[in-house]
Amino acid sequence: MKGIVSVLGLCGVLAFAPCPAQGADWKMDPAGSKLEFVATFEKAAAPGEFKEFDARLRFDPDKPAGSRLEVTVKVTSADMNVADVNKEIRGKDWFDYAAFPQAEFRSTELRRIEGNRYVARGILLLKGVKQPVEVPFSWTASADGAVMEGELTVKRGAFGIGTGEWAATNVIGADVKVKFKVKLRKAG
Amino acid sequence: MLRNTADSWGAPAKLFHWVMAALILAQIALGVMAASWRVSPAKLELFFWHKSNGMLILALVALRLLWRLANPPPELPSGMAAWERAAARLSHLLLYALMIAMPVTGWIVSSASNVPFRIFWLIPLPAIVAPDEPTADLVALVHGGLAVLLALVLSAHIGAALRHHFVKRDAVLERMLPGIRRAP
Repeated sequence: MKGIVSVLGLCGVLAFAPCPAQGADWKMDPAGSKLEFVATFEKAAAPGEFKEFDARLRFDPDKPAGSRLEVTVKVTSADMNVADVNKEIRGKDWFDYAAFPQAEFRSTELRRIEGNRYVARGILLLKGVKQPVEVPFSWTASADGAVMEGELTVKRGAFGIGTGEWAATNVIGADVKVKFKVKLRKAG
Repeated sequence: MLRNTADSWGAPAKLFHWVMAALILAQIALGVMAASWRVSPAKLELFFWHKSNGMLILALVALRLLWRLANPPPELPSGMAAWERAAARLSHLLLYALMIAMPVTGWIVSSASNVPFRIFWLIPLPAIVAPDEPTADLVALVHGGLAVLLALVLSAHIGAALRHHFVKRDAVLERMLPGIRRAP
């Protein structure tokens, strides 16, 4: 494995070793993909899901350096399983659907941690606020594509999710866990 | 003296009575406030305490019923009219029924509305019905209606206890008070 990597590292230097450039382009299969989040309410897990989102990836698992991950999330597709809660989160204090219907993540750097585990550092744009985040994920190749899976924790306050009296974190916790499973197929 | 006798309540029965009286009065206040508060962290906090306290009351009433079944209550004073005895029996039956029905209907509302909840932050409350908004709305109405009935029966219960003490001048109220033991 190390041998292959070092050979690939020589690409471009040796005329006969073609560069893998920036890896293959991957597109998401929405049917096999899920983007969930877990807030807390009085220390009880309050799960939710963004039903519509899309991930685009340029990625070579063996040479992640030139890779790029872009995710767009339709914030207005959030579902927290409770009718009253779904009504509340539309409002200005929470996601503010009217002003910020979409969230985005764009990687600035993608690297391997070890084995099949990677991390994408980048900028998350949510409710008009840009914050650097690290998105760790595992990469599992399969016959018809690959699955990337991971989770990260974000502070809702950093993005103004829950403003005014809702900024207090004793009832609705500060941390929100984001979990994703993205099924990918090689594009084109 | 732990066990009830023909004319006195034992200490456990008195403890159940007064602890639950305090919890139930607090519960009614919490419920009214939680339902009427505008949507805010305070409202969620009120519901959290109302629901936690409700589950505590349900657990206590189960123990209290077991204790009562094993310990027949003292006899009613002689000289009570037939209608008074019937009213006493009916109101006590209703109080027990409501002490069970109130938390159970609340539990159904909580389950049907699918709001995650841990009793006193500790024990996750399992769902007893599937999430369904119309069910939650309907049973919430029943819960509120039963609360009104409970307030009426409690008023009758307290009024009757005061009538026993101040009008009929018998020992019915006194024998439920802590520390007072009637001579045999």
